Amino acid sequence: MTESLDAIPDTFVSVDRAEGAVSFVVDESVYPLDAIYGATFTFLDRCFVFLGRGEPGQVVITLSAKKPPVEDDELRGWIGELANELLACAWRGRILEQNRATIEAVTMQAIGGAMGPPSLDELEDFDFSEEPFDDPLGIAMSWEEKYGKKEKKGESADDSGEENA
Amino acid sequence: MNLPIFHDVSLEALDARQPAFFRFRQLPMAPDKVVLSNLEGRWLVLDKADFQTFARGEVEEGSELFTKLRQRNFLRAYYDVPAAAEMIRARREFVGAGPNLHIMVITLRCNTTCVYCHASRANMDQVQTDMTKEIAEQSVDFILQSTNPAVTIEFQGGEPLVRFDLLQHVVEYAHEKNEVAQKELDFTLVTNLSLMDEKKLDWLIENRVQICTSIDGPQDVHDKQRKLPKASAHGEAIKWMKRIDERYREMGLDETLYHVEALVTTTRPILDRWKELVDLYVDLGCRALFLRPLDPFGWAEKTARLIEYPRAEYIEYYRNAVDYMIELNKQGVEILERYAAIFLTKILSGVDPNFLDIRQPSGAGIGQLAYSYDGTIFTCDEGRMLHESGDDTFAIGHVGTSKYRDVVGHETVRAVVVAGQLEGQADCVNCPYVPYCGIPPVHSHRIQGSLLGRMRESSLCQVHKGIQDYLFEKLATGDEETLQILEKWTTIRPRDHFVHVPAGAE
Repeated sequence: MTESLDAIPDTFVSVDRAEGAVSFVVDESVYPLDAIYGATFTFLDRCFVFLGRGEPGQVVITLSAKKPPVEDDELRGWIGELANELLACAWRGRILEQNRATIEAVTMQAIGGAMGPPSLDELEDFDFSEEPFDDPLGIAMSWEEKYGKKEKKGESADDSGEENA
Repeated sequence: MNLPIFHDVSLEALDARQPAFFRFRQLPMAPDKVVLSNLEGRWLVLDKADFQTFARGEVEEGSELFTKLRQRNFLRAYYDVPAAAEMIRARREFVGAGPNLHIMVITLRCNTTCVYCHASRANMDQVQTDMTKEIAEQSVDFILQSTNPAVTIEFQGGEPLVRFDLLQHVVEYAHEKNEVAQKELDFTLVTNLSLMDEKKLDWLIENRVQICTSIDGPQDVHDKQRKLPKASAHGEAIKWMKRIDERYREMGLDETLYHVEALVTTTRPILDRWKELVDLYVDLGCRALFLRPLDPFGWAEKTARLIEYPRAEYIEYYRNAVDYMIELNKQGVEILERYAAIFLTKILSGVDPNFLDIRQPSGAGIGQLAYSYDGTIFTCDEGRMLHESGDDTFAIGHVGTSKYRDVVGHETVRAVVVAGQLEGQADCVNCPYVPYCGIPPVHSHRIQGSLLGRMRESSLCQVHKGIQDYLFEKLATGDEETLQILEKWTTIRPRDHFVHVPAGAE
C-alpha cells in the first residue's frame, strides 16, 4: 500500500510501511546515473537496494528494510540522507571533472613518493611479454613499424613525381 | 549541523575583472567580518563593506585596501603566478615523502577499561592478541623499507607496557636493522602509565623512547572514563608523569621542551569544566593541550548516550578553553592548544606541520601505516580500529606476505588519497579554509558510509570550521599581545633528544 511520510514531498517519494520500504523517483536529467549508483551504494549496510525504470527518463530507487518493520523516523532518515547523498555525488562528480588534473598530479606524486622505485627483484618479476597498454594511435610504435622502412631516394619514381607536383 | 550561514554577504554583484580567484566566508560570531583566501592560501579578513567593494571590483587604485589586496595576491591584474606556485609547493611539501609514522599494536590487551575505547581493547587473559616476536621483526623489516628517510615507530595498544619485553626487542631489532637502512629513527610509547616501574623507566630513558599518555580531566572525570581496577588511573598517570619529568630535568634536558606529552579525549562531563582542565595541564607542567573531540571508533558508539555531545557544544567549550589559555599566556604562563597551533602554522607561516589527520591528502597509507598484533597492515590506526569492529575496508596487506610497494600502492591507498583531496569535495571547494584543512576519509567512511563523505553534515568538518572561525576571529579582532601569542604558538621546536641518527650520519 502506498503512503506518504510527514515532511517529505510525495511528488518524489512513496512509502510502504508494511514492507518497511520507501521509493524515490529520480529524474535522470537532474541526477546522472553515476550519482545514483554512488548515493545508493552507501545504503547497502542498512537496506536492500532496488533500482528500476519509472517513466522515461526516470529511475526508481527502492530502499527496503533488511528486518521490517521500520519506524517512520528511520524511513524519513533514509530518504533525507539519500536525497543529500545524491546531490553530493552529482556535484562532486562535476568538481572532480573540473579539478581532475590537480587531483591526479597530487595522487601520482603521493603514491609514487611512497612506493619509491622498483627493486631489481621486482623488475625481474615484471611481465614484459604482453603489450604494456593499448596504443590505438601507434604513439609508442617506431616510425618504421608504423609506416614501413623508408625507401632510398630515387627508388620510387611515383613518389618523387608526387613530391614534385 | 554546521554553524549558520549568513546571507547578507553575497557575490551577486561580482565583477571578476579586478579580483583574482578567491573563496570567502562570513565569520558566524563576528558577522561584520569576512575571511577570504586565495588559491595558494594567502588570506585577509575584511570588513563587510570593504569585501563588497572588492567583490564588485570597485577598489580604488592606490587606496589602503588596494595595497593590502595587492600584497596578498588578490588582484587579477597583479597576480604573481610564480609566488603562488612556490607557496602551493611549500604547503604540499609532504606529499611525496612516504610513510613516516608507523603504529605498532604489540598487544590488544589492556589493564584499563575506557568507556570510549577506540582500540577495542582485549582483557588481560587474552594472550592470543599479543604480537609474536616473528611478526614484530617482520613489521620492523617492513617499516624500514619506507621511502621516508625519517621513521617514527609508535607503540600503541591495548597497553604496550603489558608486553614491555616485546617493545624492548622491537627497539633493539630496529637499531640492528637500521645499520643497513640508515633511517632517522624515533620511538614513541603511548601508555596509560599504570604498569610503569623504575626499571622500565630506566630502560626507556636510556633508549630515548618518547612517552605520551592521556589525561581526560580532573580525577573524578578521568577515573570515570578510564577505569583501572583497584586503583585510580588518574593517580597513577599523574604520579608517573611527574616522575618522568623529574628524570628529564635530572638529565639536564630543557624542561620547556622535554616532558610527558598528554592528550585529552573530550567527553560530555568535561565540557563545562574547561577551566579546571586547563589549570590541571598547567599544574602538570604541560606546555600543550590537545582538545580532541571524541572519535567515532571502537566503543564510543555504544557509549555515546553517556559521553557524546553536539559539536556546537564542543566549539563553545573550545572557545572558552582557548580564550582562557590566551589569558594565561598574557600572565606569563606558557600553554598552547594543539589544534590551534596546527592551523595557525598553516595560516600564518604558509608551511604544513604535517599533522597527518589535518592535511590533504590525509596521511593514510602515504604518511602513516598501522600494524596490528596479527601482522595485518592498515592505512592508518583508525582503519585498524574499524577492523576490530568488523570492517576490513582499510586492511592493505600482511607483514609476512606482502611486498612494500604493493601495500603503499594498494588500490585502497589510491582511493583514500583521491578522497582526501579537498579540491574534489563538494562544499570544500567553496570554503576559504581549504588551504589549511584536511578530513581523513576513514572518518567520512565511518560516519557517512563513503570515503568522500558529505562535509556539510560531517561532525569533523563542523569542528574544523568552528576552530578556524575562532582563530580568524582572533586574528581579525585580537589585540597586539594576543596576536603575538598566536604567532608564538606556530613555533615548531623539534625534540632532537629523541631522534636516533644512524651511525655515521652524525
